[in-house]
Amino acid sequence: MTNYYKVAGHVFGVEIPDANPLCSQISQYEPFTCPAVDSPVFSLVLADSVNDEGKSLVYSGSEESGEPVIRLYSLPDGWISEVAICPGRPISSRLYMSKDFSAGRLQILRPSESLFALNNALMLMFAFRTAGMSTLEMHASVIVNGGRAYLWLATSGTGKSTHSSLWLKHVPGSHLLNDDNPIVRVMEDGHVEVFGSPWSGKTPCYRNEHYPAGAFTRIRRADHNAISRLNNFEAYALIYSSSSGFKFDPHMGDDLHATFEKVVGASPCFVLDCLPDADAARVSSGTLLKMYE
Amino acid sequence: MKTKKGFKMRTLLGEHIIVAEGLEQVNFNKMISLNESAAYLWEAVEKKDSFSVDDLKDLLLAEYEVEEKIAAEDAKAIAERWIEIGIAEE
Repeated sequence: MTNYYKVAGHVFGVEIPDANPLCSQISQYEPFTCPAVDSPVFSLVLADSVNDEGKSLVYSGSEESGEPVIRLYSLPDGWISEVAICPGRPISSRLYMSKDFSAGRLQILRPSESLFALNNALMLMFAFRTAGMSTLEMHASVIVNGGRAYLWLATSGTGKSTHSSLWLKHVPGSHLLNDDNPIVRVMEDGHVEVFGSPWSGKTPCYRNEHYPAGAFTRIRRADHNAISRLNNFEAYALIYSSSSGFKFDPHMGDDLHATFEKVVGASPCFVLDCLPDADAARVSSGTLLKMYE
Repeated sequence: MKTKKGFKMRTLLGEHIIVAEGLEQVNFNKMISLNESAAYLWEAVEKKDSFSVDDLKDLLLAEYEVEEKIAAEDAKAIAERWIEIGIAEE
């Protein structure tokens, strides 16, 4: 049967055969379930086979140990993406996407990695398909406080989740919205809204909630705690490097740039030099929450 | 000399920037801020198969009221800078 999910206001459909074991593994999507719609932004179907004849490689992600490997190929009528759990492992799945990313067919090659394959396929299609809809899939951990969302951005392992934990412990009224892949959308009135998603890395935090963006803050390890505001140029670099999407496709590059520029124009961005201690949360919350008092 | 493929000049809230957006520059992880005259020069030469420091000097003279000697120095400095940061090559 086909399930429909609404993430950041975008509805997509996922068709999984009833007998497939995946049906009982996708509880992280449940909070986002919505009624069927006639024209979802994209739909994904599980398929027994995907024809990838004539594919040519357009992009191969950097192969860092422990991180998934993604390769993107072009076809005359669309795209193929292959993913592996980490470098050196066989590919988990092969995904065909139509030229405009509105239709996908996913062939799972390693059944034990089905959920990984499904999550990856949906995240990829969501990021690519909604890039032209003022929407960014970001790599961030997000805390909500006082009705606003505060995003921590950095490469994996720097301390995004750690800084969120410090707020949960030391800044009253905080809760976690998402720990890895929130969705950021510039709304029609120009304000920036931050949405929870069914994708949250290793932390099971799948909240179907959304809040106006309070601030985007880059986390940088240091031997002291200090926070400072970024200028537009630095803020753009931060948003650019923390967003999924295929900047190397000219159309998507234009769309993403337009959204980055709107986010930078509408949201305060900071860099936090910090230790993993309570004082770091005191320093960041002191500056960030004060903006809205 | 010539500009390298895969870079795109964009306007960010009124400022000019160059970002890597082509597959040729998939591993380029810098962003470059350009002042008004550098942006004018980049736009004029980015699509050209090749250009010289003299071409840059002539472009500066055509657009700005500067002495030829100053324009020549500026053109040389900017050409060297572009090569140094990796957005142009000999």
